[in-house]
Amino acid sequence: MRSTGIELEQRTARIGDWSVTAWRRVPPDADGSPPVVCVHGAGVSSRELRPLVATLGEHLPAWTVDLPGFGQSTKPPYALGLTELADALADWLAAEGLPPACLAGCSFGCQVAVDVAVRHPERVRSLVLIGPTVDPAARSWPRLIARWLRNSRREDPRMMPLNAADYRDAGLRQVLAGFEAAVRDRVEDKLPHVAVPTLVVRGEFDRLAPQDWAEEVTRKVPRGRLAVVPGAPHTVPFRDPAALVPLIRGFLADA
Amino acid sequence: MHKYAASFDSATGMLRALSRYLRGRDFPSLGQFPAAVEPVASRVLGAANRLPRRHSERAYALSGWSEASAPAKLARLRADELAEWVVGHYPRRRYPVVFVGSASGALVHLAAALGAPWLPQTLLVPVRQRGGHPDAPKDCLSRVRPAGEAMLAANPDLILHHMHDANQDRLMIAGMSYFRIKWRRLPAAYRRFLDECLDGTLVVSDCEVRWPTTRIGERYVFQHGALGGLSPQEYRLGSPEIARYLASHGSPYRSWDAPEPDGESPEAEWGFEPELMDDLRDAAGRAGNDVAVLRFPDPEALTPAVADLYRSWYASRGLPGDRLLVESFLLLEPWWTLRTGSVPYWMVFNSERSRKGLLSYLDGGEPYDEIRMALFSHGVESPGIAPIDAWQDVLARARKVGVFAGVDPRAFPRDFAVFARMHRDLSRVRTTYPMPLALPLSRVEEALGAREDVSWTAA
Repeated sequence: MRSTGIELEQRTARIGDWSVTAWRRVPPDADGSPPVVCVHGAGVSSRELRPLVATLGEHLPAWTVDLPGFGQSTKPPYALGLTELADALADWLAAEGLPPACLAGCSFGCQVAVDVAVRHPERVRSLVLIGPTVDPAARSWPRLIARWLRNSRREDPRMMPLNAADYRDAGLRQVLAGFEAAVRDRVEDKLPHVAVPTLVVRGEFDRLAPQDWAEEVTRKVPRGRLAVVPGAPHTVPFRDPAALVPLIRGFLADA
Repeated sequence: MHKYAASFDSATGMLRALSRYLRGRDFPSLGQFPAAVEPVASRVLGAANRLPRRHSERAYALSGWSEASAPAKLARLRADELAEWVVGHYPRRRYPVVFVGSASGALVHLAAALGAPWLPQTLLVPVRQRGGHPDAPKDCLSRVRPAGEAMLAANPDLILHHMHDANQDRLMIAGMSYFRIKWRRLPAAYRRFLDECLDGTLVVSDCEVRWPTTRIGERYVFQHGALGGLSPQEYRLGSPEIARYLASHGSPYRSWDAPEPDGESPEAEWGFEPELMDDLRDAAGRAGNDVAVLRFPDPEALTPAVADLYRSWYASRGLPGDRLLVESFLLLEPWWTLRTGSVPYWMVFNSERSRKGLLSYLDGGEPYDEIRMALFSHGVESPGIAPIDAWQDVLARARKVGVFAGVDPRAFPRDFAVFARMHRDLSRVRTTYPMPLALPLSRVEEALGAREDVSWTAA
C-alpha cells in the first residue's frame, strides 16, 4: 500500500446478504459539501483510490468502496454484471444513509457511476469521470489490450503489487467478468441521459481514454466539462491524487 | 517550395492552405509533407521540442535559413515567374469570386467559404546575410541594400519593403534579411488567371495597416519592427523590457539602432499597396467582371466578421456552431474548420494584443461549448507575447471542452511539433459534418456590408 501517512476509517455496511467494505475520511468542518464517493475500476478494488480519499478527505467527506466481489467485500456466488454492480452501489449509498453524492469513477468505475446516475438519479448529485472507459473505437479485446500495454509504461510501478492483490482477492472469474461487463456496456448511449453536472478528467498520456474519446464523453453529457491532467497516465488518482483535489473542489463549488 | 519565396511565411502558408482546400484537401504539416509522414514528423519535431534552448533555437533558425537566397542570386529573381508559381497553386476552373491583395487568415476562411482563390500582393523573399547582428538594423540594411537595389532594377513592377524585426523574428534574421516584395502592377500571370478563371467579381483585399518607414529608394523602404507584440514607438525608442530581452539573448545591445523613419507606408507583411488598384479595375473591367473592395484596418480586424459569418452560416445549415477554432499566423486549417463545424477565429500572432482581441470577441457573443486553439511558436519569449497560462485561461472560457490543438504547452514558444500536431489533433475530433456547398457571394456582401469594423463596397 502506498503510504499516505493518514489512517482512513474502515466501515462495513450490509446490503442484503452481503457485507460491503468502505473507507472514508471526513474532515471535522465539512458542512455543506456533498460526499465524494470514489468508484474503482474493473478487476481491482478501492486500494488504488485510497490515496485520493486520504488527500481529498482533508477538505470534504471522501469515501471509497469495494464493490461486491472485489477487495474486502463479500464475494457473491455468481459474477456480477454492470447493472448488478450499479444496483449494489446504489443500495450501499442508501445503507450508509449518504445524501445525494458526487460519484467519482475511475476507469470502469465511470461506467458504474454513469449507470447509477441514469437509473438511480436520486442518489447522485454530480459525477466525476476519471479516465472513462470503454472507447467504442477500441471495443474489442485485442485493441483494449494494445492500449492497456501502451498506457502501462507511464503508470506508477508501485501500483502493480496492489493490482496483483486485487486480482487475488477477486479471483479470476470475477476479474474476467468485470472486464467483460466493461466491454459490453455501451456507456455512450447512456451519457446523453446523465442529468447531473459532470466533470470528465483525463490524464494527458492516458491511452485507454484518448483525448478524442474524452471529448466525446464530455460532448455527450449535457452538463459536461473536460479537464486534462498534464503528465498523468490512465490511473490519475493513484499517480497524481494531489492534482485531482483542486479540480474536484472547484467543480463541486461550481456545480 | 519556390527558390525565392519562403514557405514559412504567412502569405505562402495561406496560399497553400487555400489552394489545397479548393482541391478538396486538408493541410497536414502545413502542406510541407504528405499526410503519411505526419506521425514521423510529429515525433521528430516533438523530440526537437525537448532540445536545450540553444539547440532548439539554432534548429529553428536553420530551418528558415535553408530557404533564403544568396544576395547575388537575387538579381536573377523575376517577378513574373513568381506570379506564375503563385497561380500554379490553384485549379484552373471558373470562379465566381477571386480575391487579390492583402493576406489574412480570416480572408482564407472567407475565400474557402466562397470557394474562391486569393492571389497575394505580397511575398516574402528571405536573403542570406553574414555578419549582421539582429540588434543592429542599420548595419543589416547596409549589408543587403545592394542586393535589394539590384533586384528592383531588374523588376520595375515591384516595391521592396525590407522588414527588420529583432523582437519576433530574431532567430530567423540572425542569418538573413526579410525582403517583402509587393506588386505595384498586376503581373502577367495574375492577369491571365483573372481573364481565364474569373467569371463574376474580383474582390480587392485592402488591409489598411501602415507602419513608419525609411525611404531608401523610389521603390524601396525599410521597416523597423512588425505587427505583433510591440508598437512602432517601442521599436524606435526601446524600453526596459526590451533591454532585458536583448540581455537575456546575450546581445551586446540594449536597444535598436535603426534608421529614423521619414514617413509611413503600407505595412510590409499585411498592408495593401494602393498603386495596384488601377490595374485591378482594368483587368476586371476588360472581361466584364465586377470589382468590390473589402477594406479592413488591420489583418485581424477581419476575424470577428468572418467568425460571425461562419456562425450564422452553420445556424442556417442546422448545425450547432458551438465550436471555436482559434488559429494563429500560418497555422490554418480551412478544410477541418468546416469538417468539424468550427467557427474560425484567426489571430495575427501569439501576442497579448491578439489575446485581448479574442477575449473581447468571446465577451461579445454566445459562449462556445468547445474551444480549440493552435498557437504559433516563433522560438523566443519576445516582449508582447502572451504566456501559455494566459492562453490556458482563455480556453477555460469554453463551456465543455477547452483544449489546445497540437500545442505542447511545456514547449511554447519553442514548440516545433505544433506544425504537424495541429492537423493531427483536428483530424481526430469526433462528430464531424458534411462539407457545405460554397456560400453565395450575396450572403457575404450582405453580412460584411452591414458591419462597422470592416467595409465591403462595390467599386
